[in-house]
Amino acid sequence: MITPLLVLRQAKTLPLRVNQISVRYASRKENIADPRVEIIRRTLYPSTIRNRASPVGTWRPDVGRRLQKAIPSVQAHETIERAWLLHQRHIRRARLAELERKFSCMKEAMDALQQLDPRLYREANKVEDPRARSPKELEALKSLKGTEQRALESRIRGLFPRELRTPTDTPPREGWRYNFKPIIELP
Amino acid sequence: MSTHLKSTPPHVPASQTTGQKSDTASIIYTGVIVNRNPIITRTPTAFERAYYAYHSRIERALHNPFPSEFYFKSGSIIEGQFEKEEKVREREAFGRPVRRVEEWRRKLHEKNTAKTEKKPKAEARIVIPGGVPQPMPREHEADRTGDVHSLDRNGERNVYLLVKSKDEKGKEVWRFPQGAVEGDELLHEAVIRDLRSEYGTGMDTWVVSRNPIGVYRSGSSPSSSPAKAPVFFYKAHIIQGQVRPDGKQVLDFAWLTKQEIKPRTESDYWAGVKDLLSDF
Repeated sequence: MITPLLVLRQAKTLPLRVNQISVRYASRKENIADPRVEIIRRTLYPSTIRNRASPVGTWRPDVGRRLQKAIPSVQAHETIERAWLLHQRHIRRARLAELERKFSCMKEAMDALQQLDPRLYREANKVEDPRARSPKELEALKSLKGTEQRALESRIRGLFPRELRTPTDTPPREGWRYNFKPIIELP
Repeated sequence: MSTHLKSTPPHVPASQTTGQKSDTASIIYTGVIVNRNPIITRTPTAFERAYYAYHSRIERALHNPFPSEFYFKSGSIIEGQFEKEEKVREREAFGRPVRRVEEWRRKLHEKNTAKTEKKPKAEARIVIPGGVPQPMPREHEADRTGDVHSLDRNGERNVYLLVKSKDEKGKEVWRFPQGAVEGDELLHEAVIRDLRSEYGTGMDTWVVSRNPIGVYRSGSSPSSSPAKAPVFFYKAHIIQGQVRPDGKQVLDFAWLTKQEIKPRTESDYWAGVKDLLSDF
């Protein structure tokens, strides 16, 4: 929510400038060695005197006027915000309902497994420790060479593989990688 | 699908011995739902685009002024280019700035009293050699042809692997990859082995967890007695590669969205499996 909007709404007489603190930034007038340093200094430590809008400040002298240009009206803006929140609510509810369905399927499966075979159920419930290595893997590690050792160490049970790609706005240039040859046969 | 029977467990569960043949009742099948994650982000709806545009405009009205002296050397070509582009964007958002009357009068006076023809300023523009690389289009060729073998199709959505194989009665059905548990192995190990053996080593998959995400019991109709064997589904992701079926057990495959899977599968199977899949 934009607070100047609420300010406008509450009291027209409320001044948009409050707490006038005047602190000048430090500037060396004697020997300005490099103008770039001065620019950086001015950017990092701007003047806090409120006579002008500044890149790092949160004050503009003409906020009210600019807001009036930007939004149709307070009521219209609030309607738009409510429509957006409603839209987000629909999306959220659909997502949660889907998760709920998936979870109940999982629960049903685990209950069925418990009835069917307690040993498998116990094993399925074990939490995988990413740091642990089974004795089989340790044996395999000793017998393999460099690249294969690294390939074995890269896929850790209990952690997601780092080759999983996050979605981007456009697909990769080469598209999907169809030619894959495994380096070693992973257990 | 291997017909190797599961070795007798340490204790036979009590709920098992409903069927006459106790050995078929002890088979457990594991199915796997192989998912290809979305490659590209979702397309925003018209409402979302309008909302983002509305807020961009408010941001443009209220944002702090751009620290031009920090980013550009004052008087440089690129600064001039940026300011020109900014003027265009500002004009697009808010229209031409309203000029005060005195300023207008002054400009008019200048124009009238200008004796000499002003030479047009040389257009200084920064040119990147070789051009700016363009991003790939969001729609792939596979979307246009509808090639269900392709993993580039439907980049926004989750697609799942569906295979055509013969079930116990010998009928060809479309379903998720399935296999029996052999020996003393655990369910997730059975899934990993099954994926490798039947779908070749050309597919890099990651089985997410040790526990199943769903169970399907065929035989809602009491007539089919041996079909009571449960199928425990596991979730897997394909990272790279492609299915290379051996042609013996697996006849055909397809990468399909949830809506495309429904018409291809039997209604009984679909009812048991639909809640395991993502809607989008």
